[in-house]
Amino acid sequence: MLKNKKIVLVFGLVIFISLPIFSNSNKEKASETSDKVTTFTAFFADPNSSWNGMQDDVGKFLTEKTGVTLNVEMAVGDPAQKINLIAASGVYPDLISPKGDNGALIESGALIDLTDLIDKHAPNIKAVLGDQIKRLRHSYEDQSIYFIPTLDAINQYYYKVGGPFNLQLDVVEKLGYPEIRTLEDYEAAIKAYVEKYPTIDGQKTIGLSLLADDWRIMISTTNPAFFATGAPDDGEFTIDPKTFDAMLHYKRPAEREYFRWLNHMNDIGLLDKESFVQKYDQYLAKIAAGKVLAVIDQDWEIGQAVNSLKSEGKFNRTYGKFPVTLDESYKIPVFQQAGFNGGWGIAITKSCKDPVKAIKFLDYLASEEGQILVNWGIEGKHYNYNEKGERIIPADVLDMKINDNNKFKKETGVGNYLLSLRYGDGNKDSTGNYYTTNYPEQILSDYSDFEKKVLKNYNATFWKDLFPKEDEFPVKPWGAAWNIPIPNDSPITVFQQKEQDIIRQLIPEAIMATPAEFDGIYDKMLAQLEAIDSTKIEKEYTSYVKKRIKLWTE
Amino acid sequence: MKRKKINVDRVFNTFNGLIMAIVLIVTLYPFLNVLAVSLNESLDTVKGGITIFPRKFTTENYKVIFTYQNLLNAFFISVLRTVVGTVAGLIASSMVAYTLSRSDFQARKFFSTFLVLTLYVSGGLIPGFLLMRDLHLINSFWVYILPAIVNAFYIFMIRTYMEGLPFELQESAFIDGASDITVFIKIILPLSTPVLATIALFIAVGQWNSWFDTYLYNGSNDLLSTLQFELMKILQSTQTGSDMARNNNVLEQMTTVTPDSIKMAITIVTVVPIIMVYPFLQKYFVKGMTIGAVKS
Repeated sequence: MLKNKKIVLVFGLVIFISLPIFSNSNKEKASETSDKVTTFTAFFADPNSSWNGMQDDVGKFLTEKTGVTLNVEMAVGDPAQKINLIAASGVYPDLISPKGDNGALIESGALIDLTDLIDKHAPNIKAVLGDQIKRLRHSYEDQSIYFIPTLDAINQYYYKVGGPFNLQLDVVEKLGYPEIRTLEDYEAAIKAYVEKYPTIDGQKTIGLSLLADDWRIMISTTNPAFFATGAPDDGEFTIDPKTFDAMLHYKRPAEREYFRWLNHMNDIGLLDKESFVQKYDQYLAKIAAGKVLAVIDQDWEIGQAVNSLKSEGKFNRTYGKFPVTLDESYKIPVFQQAGFNGGWGIAITKSCKDPVKAIKFLDYLASEEGQILVNWGIEGKHYNYNEKGERIIPADVLDMKINDNNKFKKETGVGNYLLSLRYGDGNKDSTGNYYTTNYPEQILSDYSDFEKKVLKNYNATFWKDLFPKEDEFPVKPWGAAWNIPIPNDSPITVFQQKEQDIIRQLIPEAIMATPAEFDGIYDKMLAQLEAIDSTKIEKEYTSYVKKRIKLWTE
Repeated sequence: MKRKKINVDRVFNTFNGLIMAIVLIVTLYPFLNVLAVSLNESLDTVKGGITIFPRKFTTENYKVIFTYQNLLNAFFISVLRTVVGTVAGLIASSMVAYTLSRSDFQARKFFSTFLVLTLYVSGGLIPGFLLMRDLHLINSFWVYILPAIVNAFYIFMIRTYMEGLPFELQESAFIDGASDITVFIKIILPLSTPVLATIALFIAVGQWNSWFDTYLYNGSNDLLSTLQFELMKILQSTQTGSDMARNNNVLEQMTTVTPDSIKMAITIVTVVPIIMVYPFLQKYFVKGMTIGAVKS
C-alpha cells in the first residue's frame, strides 16, 4: 500500500509540473501581438552562445529604436539538416541566415527577392554598398538579391598576418636577425639553429613540422605552395588574372619546385618524420612543447599551442611571420584583396510577417549609428568620446571585454548584432574614428615584449610591415574563387572529392621519397589528375569564374 | 589427482581475474582520461600526455559550462522527459507485449509482422517532421514522449520474456476469477521486473541522451530545451568561437579554454547523472522468482 501511495504521489507531481508546459504556446502568442513591437522569428546557421534573446543593453536599445525583437533559433550540429528541413516543410522563420547551405531554400522559393525592398526602404544599405550592389546578385541566371551579406564586411583591411611561414622568434634572435625572404633563407636559418641547439629543454629539436590530418593537409601542406609562388588563395584552382582560365594549382611548374623543396627538407633530415602521420593534437602538443622551429600553417590552426606557450612565459618559442617565397622574383600575396565577396548573409522569407519592417531593421543596423552601436555599444555606457573626439572604451568595460568576453557579450550585446551590412576594420566614420574596435594600435598590445624586440631589429612595428602591401597587387575581379557557388549536380563536386584522394596520397609520397624519385611521383600525380578529366573540369570551372565576373561587372 | 585439480582451479581463477582486470582497465581508462582532461588546465592539455590524473588541476572548464543560462531549466526538462518517458514507455510497451504474448490473441501474427516492419523501415526526417507538425506536437513537451512511446524492439524483448513465464500461473488466476487486467497487473508485471528494469534503463538512457528531437521540434523554445541540447550548443559555439579566428576580423581569441577541454567537461556533466540511476535498478535484475512456482 505504501508503495502504491508513493507511485501516485510521483505521478501527481509529474502531472502538476508538466501542466505549465502545456500552456507555453498560449503565452508566446500573447507577446507577439502586444503593441508596436514585432517579433521576428529567425534561424542562424552559426551558433552564438552569447545570444541573450535581445535582453542585453544593445538589444534593448535596438528594440526601442526599431520596434523589432528577434526570436532566434541557432543551428546545432550540421546546419544543412535543419535548413533542408525548413525548406522542405514550408515552415519558414521570418529571417534566415543559412550560410553556405542556401541552395534548397532558393530552389524551393522560400526567399524573397530583396532588390525592390532595398531600393525603396534601405538607403543605408545602398549607400554602404555603392556599386558593389551588383555583387549581391545570386547568379547569372537568377539575378535576384536574396541575401544581405553579413559574413564579409565591406572594405575589410587586415592588420594581422595569418601565415603561412612561421619561424620561432628564438631562431632569428640567436642568429642575429638574418633576412628571411626566400625558402633558402628559411632553410638556412632552421639548419643553423638545429646544428647549434640539437635539443630544446632536453627534447630533440624539430626543424620543420607539417600537418596532414584530413582536410588540414590543405592548410599546412598544399595551400602554402601557391602562396610561396605568388598566387593568391583561390582554393584548389588557380585563376589566370588575364584570361580567367582556371587550373589546378598543382599543375603550375613553380609549385613542383616548392614541393621539391619540401622533399629536399626531408632528405636533409630537417622535416619532421611524423609530418604525414601525426594527428592534430599530437602536432599541437609538439608545438606547445616549444621544440618545433618552423611551422608552415595559419595562425588559427596553431593558436591553441601558441597560447599554451604564452601561458608558460615561453615567448621566445612563439612564432614570427615571414614573407617567404620560392625565390626573390615572387611576392607573397597574402594581402591581395579579393574585393567584396557578397554571398553569405541574412535573407527574408516568404512567410515574413512584415518584410518592410524587417528590411528597415537591417537597414538601421547598416547605418552609421547602427554600426557604431553593434561594434562599440551605447555611448556613455560602453564608450565615451575624449576631449580630442576619440572614441574610448572605459577601463572597467575594457577589462571585462578582455578578461571575461563571454559575460561582456552577454550583458552588453556588443558583437551579437552583426546581422547586416557593415564596414570592416580600418574604415573611419564621420567622427574620424574607426567603425570597428579592431585597429592597429590594439594589435600591438597583443604582442609580447620579445616579439616587439624582434620586430624592432627588423625595423618593423607589425609583422605586416615585412609583407608586400595590398596596393602592390590588383584587386581580384572574381573575388575569392573558393566561394563561387557550384550547383550540387555539377561534376566539379565529384571531381574535387577524387582530386583530394589523389593529392592526399601522392603529395606526401612525393615529399617523403628520395630526391631522385620525386619527379616520377609528381608526374604520376599529374597523370592521375588528368585521368579523372581535370582539363575538362578546369574548363567547366572557368565558365563559372567568367560568369561571376560578368555578373559583377555588367 | 587432488593436487592437480586445485591447480587447475587456481590457474583458471588467476586468468579469469587477469582478463577481468584487463577488461576493467580498458573500459575504465577512457572514462578516467576524460575526467582528468576535464579537470586539467586547457592550455596545459594542449601539450598532451594527460593520463588518469590531471597535471594542473582546475575547475575552469566546468565554470565555463555552468555560466550558461537556461541550464537549470534544461536539466529539469531532461529529468522530466526521462521520468515521464520511461514510465509511459514501460506502461505502453508492456501492455502491447502482454497482448502479443497471449496465444489466444487472434491478430497476433498481423501485429507482430507490422511491428517488425517498423524496425526496418522508417519514414525519414522530413516526413517525420511534417507528421509532428500536423499532429500539433511541435513546440510541445509531448513530442519527447508520444512519438516513441512504443518501440518494436523493446516490445519483442518484453514479449519473449513474458512468453517464458509458465502459462499455468495465469490459468490458475483465471480459474480464481481474475480478469485480463488483473492478471497483467498482479501476476505478469511483478514477475517481469528483470526485463522491465532492463527496458527502463534503455528508455531512460535514450531519453536522457537525446538532443536531436529538441533541435528539430522545440529548438526555438527555451522553456522546452533539454540539457543535452544546451550542452551541444555550448560545444558547438566554443568550436565556432575558435574557428572564427579564421575570419581574421575576430582578434579577441579565447585564451583560457579550448574546445577539447569543454568537450570533456560536457561529457562528464552528461554522463554522471545517468550513471547514478544504475545502482537503483540493480536490485531488479534478479531472475528466478518463478522457479518452483508451478508444480507439475
